[in-house]
Amino acid sequence: MHEMPVTQAMLNMVLEQAGGRQVLKVRLRVGELSPVVPHSVAMFFDYLSRGTNAEGARLEFERAPLETTCPACGARQVHPVPHDLRPQIVLARALALGCPCGARALKLTGGSGFDLIDLEILQPGT
Amino acid sequence: MIRTIPVLREVTEANSLLAEALRAGFVRQRVLVLNLIASPGAGKTSLLEQTIARLAGELRLAVIEGDPTSTLDAERIAAAGVPVVQINTGGGCHLEARMIQQALEQVQADAPGDGQGEETPLDVLVIENVGNLLCPTGWDLGEDAKVVVASLPEGSDKPLKYPMAFLTAQAVVINKIDLAPYLPAKPEELRQNALIINPNLQVFEVSCLTGEGLDDWIEWIRARLIQKRAALQSETHESATLSDVPLVDEAPDA
Repeated sequence: MHEMPVTQAMLNMVLEQAGGRQVLKVRLRVGELSPVVPHSVAMFFDYLSRGTNAEGARLEFERAPLETTCPACGARQVHPVPHDLRPQIVLARALALGCPCGARALKLTGGSGFDLIDLEILQPGT
Repeated sequence: MIRTIPVLREVTEANSLLAEALRAGFVRQRVLVLNLIASPGAGKTSLLEQTIARLAGELRLAVIEGDPTSTLDAERIAAAGVPVVQINTGGGCHLEARMIQQALEQVQADAPGDGQGEETPLDVLVIENVGNLLCPTGWDLGEDAKVVVASLPEGSDKPLKYPMAFLTAQAVVINKIDLAPYLPAKPEELRQNALIINPNLQVFEVSCLTGEGLDDWIEWIRARLIQKRAALQSETHESATLSDVPLVDEAPDA
């Protein structure tokens, strides 16, 4: 339900950066744990971008991996999400296991965001 | 010619920035803000009613009610005698900082001030988020603490299925413990699972029906408010001490 306003926010950011030039491609990074669903964003983007300079732009999605950091030793762990498991379950298991150093209360330091990485625009010839 | 424009910005940064601004405002107003997160039917509104009943006359409370539709919950809170502002998200699954900003204008207009315009009209503001354990965890509202309400009939595995809610919370209220004799889930299991996800959680086992266990929860709210104000007091005191250093030509004659 939240993809439409989130997509509108992303589109606004894209149009602001493009400054009136035609947008060809938008690269986005979605955290494994982000509640934002890429194909839903793509659907709303098609609809919301009609009549703007971003109409027809291609969306490319990257996944930001789920990463935790140990509050005791500072070790970072990346937790791959197998295709048959929900990311929330992978996070729960990682938190239950804790750090190899024995510490608990791991901090989630990656995989919850939704970022605009960059965009490709058509620069009018000089 | 094709050009790449690097951006690397969080798409929801507008929400994060506004939430920080709200948080700064809550510090200035010396008000404790709690964000209640739970599944539909866990007992968020019942917990609020019980909390209001126990703190009425002692602390000045206000409530922001988030619901996809309807004013049923807001009517319950209003009946309990506390200023309440309803946010209908129009089917939306969570509250966002801009909704809180709009609701606050209403809260401030409704709350009885002391006529001086300076003194805080409120002690505690509780935001009841939309019933949902997933989406509300992704949107900061400027609160001091997220509180998850998890009721026993939902099962004891909620923390393992929705770890983000429990990871980002400071407290968990396990509700409906009066039903424990009739349910396979045990409060202790739910507590353990919550602590597996987040060992720093404060866990309360309560029944909003019988009132059992609510005293500890109320005491936690009082303690959090005192803690927030004490931290502000020491900051204010330090800056006051610095600015109170008399200028040399204003020093009284010896």
